[in-house]
Amino acid sequence: MKLQIEIEGELRQVELTQNEGGRYQASVDGAPAFDVEAQVLRPGVLSLNTGGRAYRCVLEESAEGVAIHLGGKRSLYRVDDPRSLKSRLRRHAGDDGPKPVTAPMPGRVVRVLAKVGDMVKAHQGVVVIEAMKMQNELKSPKAGKVVQMRAEPGSTVAAGDVLVVVE
Amino acid sequence: MQLKGLRSTGVSFLAVPKTLRSIRKILIANRGEIALRILRACRELGIVTVAVYSDADRAALHVLEADEAYRLGPAPATESYLCGDLILDIARRSGAQAIHPGYGFLSENAGFAEACEHAEIKFIGPPASAMRALGSKTRARQAADAANMPRTPGSVKGLASLDEGYSVAAEIGYPVMLKAAAGGGGKGMRAVFSKDELCAAFAAAASEAERAFGSSEVYLEKLIERPRHIEIQVLADEHGNCVSLGERECSVQRRHQKVIEEAPSAIVDEEMRRHMGEAAVRLAKSAGYTNAGTVEFLVDDARNFYFLEMNTRLQVEHPVTELVTGLDLVHLQIRIAQGEPLSFAQEDIRLRGHAIECRVYAEDPDNGFFPSPGKITRLLQPGGPGIREDSGIYEGWVVPLDYDPMLSKLIAFAPTREAAIARLRRALDEYVIGGIRSNLGLFRRILDEDDFRAARIDTGYLDRLLSANTPLAETPSCGDIALIAAAIFESSRPKNGNGSAVEANADFSGWKQAGRREGLGA
Repeated sequence: MKLQIEIEGELRQVELTQNEGGRYQASVDGAPAFDVEAQVLRPGVLSLNTGGRAYRCVLEESAEGVAIHLGGKRSLYRVDDPRSLKSRLRRHAGDDGPKPVTAPMPGRVVRVLAKVGDMVKAHQGVVVIEAMKMQNELKSPKAGKVVQMRAEPGSTVAAGDVLVVVE
Repeated sequence: MQLKGLRSTGVSFLAVPKTLRSIRKILIANRGEIALRILRACRELGIVTVAVYSDADRAALHVLEADEAYRLGPAPATESYLCGDLILDIARRSGAQAIHPGYGFLSENAGFAEACEHAEIKFIGPPASAMRALGSKTRARQAADAANMPRTPGSVKGLASLDEGYSVAAEIGYPVMLKAAAGGGGKGMRAVFSKDELCAAFAAAASEAERAFGSSEVYLEKLIERPRHIEIQVLADEHGNCVSLGERECSVQRRHQKVIEEAPSAIVDEEMRRHMGEAAVRLAKSAGYTNAGTVEFLVDDARNFYFLEMNTRLQVEHPVTELVTGLDLVHLQIRIAQGEPLSFAQEDIRLRGHAIECRVYAEDPDNGFFPSPGKITRLLQPGGPGIREDSGIYEGWVVPLDYDPMLSKLIAFAPTREAAIARLRRALDEYVIGGIRSNLGLFRRILDEDDFRAARIDTGYLDRLLSANTPLAETPSCGDIALIAAAIFESSRPKNGNGSAVEANADFSGWKQAGRREGLGA
């Protein structure tokens, strides 16, 4: 089984051959394969032994994506799918076009600082949301015109929700 | 009421059979880790527990673990955990003889303590009169003078005018600090380094105080440069006995909020501890204080200490004192509330070893400390020798966005400071909180940092560390291993349905939206 995985911002390739009893042969980025023995202890918790070293790997799923926790370090990853890669590149291409302001966390909208049609500067505050007794001002990613304002004072928003679009 | 009658009989209650004077049921007017902490102490003492909860906390651990649980109201604290009338009513209906307020919420509300007194339900804390005497910072400064305690030079009353501010500042010399009398958490506070800045700072501090506390009273004191925050735990019974239980150093703070606390302090020796302890006990006694309390001091680089304020409740960081004294402060709070005299004297108290506590928050240190409520999808808790975790969370729980972001407290205890740091560092690597962001990484960074390890800390230490923007010491990359683990997880996922890797990574996938909905607790 071959997988393309983007981890810590790098696109890498893993080839896994599964043998009996949780034993695998793994090859990373075309390097020679080595033996790995793995046991899923419970969903999301993997004990991995290789070359006499033991590792506890923990899988985390959140609104942000999927991550592996290993030795106190958290590495976000995504299994690459050519379609989503292309679409991602398209979306992140340059400063042109509309840019969203998204909620970085769940919270409540406290104040709206701009309205549709307003011209805003880059890093100008556009919405204030509150969570856990802290107010946070969300800023415009670019200079431009507010073309959409989906935030309303008092409403609840989820992490990742698009609140404002600036063009 | 039976309870009151027994307390008022003073020492003679020793002749009364134990069952008659004991508190048999306690309502815990709090949530989160502290509600669990109190609940556990009650269990150990054979006391029945009553939990209260808001709509956001129906599935919270303190509700699941209590013997009885009653709904207060909607999520906002003003409609639930701050509703003293509702809480008293539940206490009456459930037959609780006492209320433990924990910290925050109603714990330092003298009006609530008084309402409990009138309802003949024991408030586990000091009497309302002592809270009032020490509640405002200006009144506490007056009490400190009466108790002959060192305090920072400056006014002991609110400034009547800007002119008065100029004259006080000229007398004590710049730099000075403007502080809200009703203040806390750094609100309504301004450092002033010269005469030109005073006017603007006075207006800003007063208006901030008015907004945050409903009182614009501000006073002025000498600014202590690079102070350490060191506090003394006191315990007073209702028979006039009061002891100090050593100090805690809480100098590692971010924006005036404590982040790491430890006991003992690296700079306090036996003599200084005795002086600080005696001063704290004098203050508590002069205010008619009972139960657990904390007297906070600022300490300058010449190790002079100055009274800061008194916290009239159990503190978040009480476990470090418990570990080095071997005492259980919540047990003792309950015993004191039952009218029992302290069973030990000052000279019986021996400090042993070193304890350090981390406040684990749902916030993202890599992204401006943004709060991070939501569902805990993965939780692996540390353990082993010398590790204590006071937690209010479980895997699958949705951390609500309505309250402060504390998830748990991780505390290490070892014979020396160095060993406690190593132990805490080890436990941090065992701890995994997934699904939401936490500040565990910040503690790894601090515990590895040279100044912290050498105990060269003051209240500005952490803000300097964070603004220095030094590149993070990269955790050694386990690159290939994490990658192989990811590949094995992905290859063992079911190909269809929930949890499929491809679905998980599609930008508008069902699970992601579900995750968002769950993250919201909707």
